Amino acid sequence: MIELYRLRKEVPSGGETLTILHSLDLTIPDGQFVSIVGPSGSGKSTLLGLVAGLDAPTAGEIRIDGETITAMDEDALAALRGRKMGIVFQSFHLIASLTAYENVLVPMEIAGLPDAPARARALLEDVDLTARAHHYPSQLSGGEQQRVSIARAFSNNPSILLADEPTGNLDSQNGRHVFELMLKLNRRHGATLLLITHDHELAALADRRIALRDGRVVSDSATPETDATGGETASGDDGAPQSDEAGDALLQTTAAAARERGLQ
Amino acid sequence: MSERGAALKFIWRMAGREIRASWKRLLFFFLCIGIGVGAIVALRSTIQNVNAAMVSEARNILTADVQVDSSREINEATLEIVRRIAASHGVTGQTQTIEAATMLRPADEAREGALMVELKGIESPYPLYGEFKLVNGEGFTHALLENNGVVVAASLLERLSLNVGDEVRIGNSVFQIRGVLAQEPGATGGFRIGPRVFIAREQIAAAGLTGFGSRARNRLLLKVPAAELNALVSDLRAGLKDRLVSVRSYKDSQEGLNEQYTRSENYLSLTGLVILVLGGIGVSNVTRVFIEQKKRTIAVLKCVGASSRQVAGVYLVQVLVLGFAGSLFGIALARAALLFVARRFSETLPANMSYELTTGAIAQGLALGLLISLLFSALPLLRVRRIKPNTLLREDAATASAAATAAGADETWTKRLRRALSPARFDFRRGAVALCVLAGLVALAAWQAGSIRVGAFFIAGLALAAGALQLTAMLVIFFVRRARHVRSFALRHAVNSLYRPGNQTRVVVLAVGLGAFLVIATQSLQRNLVREFDPAARAQLPNMFLIDVQRDQKEGVEELVERATGERPTLVPTVRMRIAAVNGQSIDLDDRERRQQRGMLGREYVVTYRPQLEVNEQIVAGKFWDAAPSAEPEISIEEGMRGLAGLDLGGTITFDITGRRLTARVTSIRRVDWRNSRTGFLVLFRPGTLENAPQMLIAPINGPASDAERGRFQRALVDKYPNISVIDVADIVRAVTRILNNVTLAVSFIGGFVLLSGVLILVGSIAMTKWQRIYEAAVLKTLGAKRKVLLSIMLAEYGLLGLTAGTVGTLAAIALSYALSRFVFEIPWSFTPWLYLIGLAATVLLVATVGALSSFDALTRKPLAVLRAP
Repeated sequence: MIELYRLRKEVPSGGETLTILHSLDLTIPDGQFVSIVGPSGSGKSTLLGLVAGLDAPTAGEIRIDGETITAMDEDALAALRGRKMGIVFQSFHLIASLTAYENVLVPMEIAGLPDAPARARALLEDVDLTARAHHYPSQLSGGEQQRVSIARAFSNNPSILLADEPTGNLDSQNGRHVFELMLKLNRRHGATLLLITHDHELAALADRRIALRDGRVVSDSATPETDATGGETASGDDGAPQSDEAGDALLQTTAAAARERGLQ
Repeated sequence: MSERGAALKFIWRMAGREIRASWKRLLFFFLCIGIGVGAIVALRSTIQNVNAAMVSEARNILTADVQVDSSREINEATLEIVRRIAASHGVTGQTQTIEAATMLRPADEAREGALMVELKGIESPYPLYGEFKLVNGEGFTHALLENNGVVVAASLLERLSLNVGDEVRIGNSVFQIRGVLAQEPGATGGFRIGPRVFIAREQIAAAGLTGFGSRARNRLLLKVPAAELNALVSDLRAGLKDRLVSVRSYKDSQEGLNEQYTRSENYLSLTGLVILVLGGIGVSNVTRVFIEQKKRTIAVLKCVGASSRQVAGVYLVQVLVLGFAGSLFGIALARAALLFVARRFSETLPANMSYELTTGAIAQGLALGLLISLLFSALPLLRVRRIKPNTLLREDAATASAAATAAGADETWTKRLRRALSPARFDFRRGAVALCVLAGLVALAAWQAGSIRVGAFFIAGLALAAGALQLTAMLVIFFVRRARHVRSFALRHAVNSLYRPGNQTRVVVLAVGLGAFLVIATQSLQRNLVREFDPAARAQLPNMFLIDVQRDQKEGVEELVERATGERPTLVPTVRMRIAAVNGQSIDLDDRERRQQRGMLGREYVVTYRPQLEVNEQIVAGKFWDAAPSAEPEISIEEGMRGLAGLDLGGTITFDITGRRLTARVTSIRRVDWRNSRTGFLVLFRPGTLENAPQMLIAPINGPASDAERGRFQRALVDKYPNISVIDVADIVRAVTRILNNVTLAVSFIGGFVLLSGVLILVGSIAMTKWQRIYEAAVLKTLGAKRKVLLSIMLAEYGLLGLTAGTVGTLAAIALSYALSRFVFEIPWSFTPWLYLIGLAATVLLVATVGALSSFDALTRKPLAVLRAP
């Protein structure tokens, strides 16, 4: 479970203090698929970074499975990420000097997991990149790089998957394909999924949608009354659980489209 | 697997992968360490090998186990004592030699030339150790010297156009050349005043050469079983006390050599350390930029669970692996350098010397390479801690951070310093590591110098020199910056490039400037030294000395010289003496306190007497005597003798003059300008005391100008007065110039190494900022700049950089050569503008060429691909 209490983040900017997140309270139960939407500068990525322990809040507290991570030092946070989290970035952030296979392998090596090589190979197979395992990121297309990054995110069997605009740097067809792949893998792993996106269609697939504006939650499908404040996600979706059928259908159409365009 | 084991495994694997991907970028790191280690290993190995050769040959060089040495004839009483002591220690071999410089000329009156030679009179069974070799391959026997035979060095035959079988005249006797030396026992390859000539010892008296007086060295050589060596030496020392002889065993020479070579090895290694420290600066630079470039990788590693310590471990392992590989490369370089030494210098080095690397030097090289890699990358590696994983999230907001960086770049240094030192911002761990690095460097230098004091001074000196160069660099850069407003687009742009964020201007200026500084300073100093020995520049000084002129030959010599040179010479009387006591205290040369002054106390003094001061003399204490002779012995000493065994104005020295004692009071102290002296004396007597002592005259003269005439004059003089020796300053100048040229070559070689390190730092720093350069070039191209414009910007940028570094180096070289000339060598310093201009131009050319070549692809890349790249 992810719990945020009165989470606040301020940054200095040109001699003034800029508030990125205003006192935020949020609870995300295990296994939930939550999408976070909002315009640029609304605090989405900051929120994700705080949950990942990549940054420290100005005030408030974050608990992951009952552990207060806001009190942890850098190295404890790194260990926590290695143990519980997988992160997918918009710009993939693969290590340029490592092959696709090695990029997937690294988190397992850091954690000292047994059978790391076999697992890395299996994950690359899952994302359909066995043939390109020994290519360097610079030799892969954007979609392929993001698939490697997804394989890497799942390498440690995370209980939380954090995805920051995972399709933002891809064209829509390719983006769909990658997204489907991520969802499919996540269904198998059953991790809590926190997705940041601009894409309302993708957001609509989530169990729960949260809209941010100027560092405040303007709507949360789990508490429909907040919609009245003018959230941009008031699409009428009832926040139904992640639907297998819908996902599979989407997967099929995007894969077909991608093949058509010769992107595979 | 344990957690620790897993962590270590990850570190090793990750480091291996990173090296695989980045080895080209880190090649420079490898070279920096390699060159420094190479210099140290080569220098240490050479000296250790020379030392080993000399020590193992100490007995052969002494040609005996024990040597009794005297500057006067060893009389029967002394011989008797030696024989008695020798017999009691089972001495198995004994022989006597006499050595002196004297004149040799062809016996054939029709042939020209006369030459000063180093004559050595020997008798069977000389040598007790060591070996004669003759050029025809035949062995040496004493039979060759019987009935007026001589064996001579090859150079004698060359200089006088003689052959084996020809006859030569030495003193009053005629000798036949019976053999040519290929190797002589006891030769060390040191400085010689003339070619070696061996004759039989008993013929010296027959040739009328006993007139050497006390300038000859008499030696008694003994061979003794090893077990008796020490006892024999101490018994001889006790038995021969007060007889003005010195007793030395080959072990004493070994100790002396060891001490001397260890000292020079340590000092030379410090020179190597300078190169290595420069390499270290390069390493530090590379590591800093490398970590900067790896920021994303580090952030990703932290994102996927790696701790700062693990990440730092990954880069530390890379540094150590590269340091180790660089050291191995350095060892290979050292091997190559020694092969070069073997080719270039083997004539001046001992014949039996090895040119292999020594194990000790290799071990030190490896250790130093690793330690320098570690020390100089420690601070840049600490930055790993500061790289936060959230940089990955912020990358999209890059514009904001770029603006912040630009603002930081504009910050004044005072502001930046204040910010860095504010208690809230001060990084204590970084401070502690910096202190450890400093302490580590001092420890390294102390280790290399063999002394903590020298090590600390060395690092302080290095810091001071770097500080001075840095300051000069800042000043020069400040003035270069004024050129920002010039009309030329290329120049304006070039000046701006020197200030681009992340520029390496100061580091390059410092490194290249230091190399240029060493090379230019060495050249400048050499020119000043050579000029000092240049006969043309010394026109007013004597260029020939006639020595051993006897009193009854005075008139004849004066006339002969006047005929040849048109100038009547002044003949100066000289008396040879030794110090027996100072202020009534007899001198014990083995006394610990006196050891330091051993040279000054134990030497033989050549003194003169005259009523007046010479123009180059000046009284600094006391009062010089008036013209009237005095029966009371009175002396004036040179200021350097002040303090010798407590000597000062009013003190007394007791001299021993061929066995007679004479006590004289110091009534004045003189300063002598040795550079402008026709003759110079440490001790000057008041007339009235020495007139009846055994004495020789010397005549400083200006000989004929041409070599042929000088030869004829020497020949005529020696034909008439065979006992007189002629020292031709031209010969000495030639010998000194040769030595000086070798030293200059060696120092320039080291300077070249430093310059190479500087150029490497330049290449490295260009490589580090290459992307920015390529990007700027692409932008300029899209704005319409042609390649010619881009090339001129590039040349202007590196030209300016070279000009700055060259100016800094030249200014420092002028300062150093001035200081060394004036205060160390005490010779006049002259400004040689062409030398500095050549040095400056060469530096500009070097930097511009290297710079333009290493960033050439900025010109050739297509702009679109560059601008589209992420």
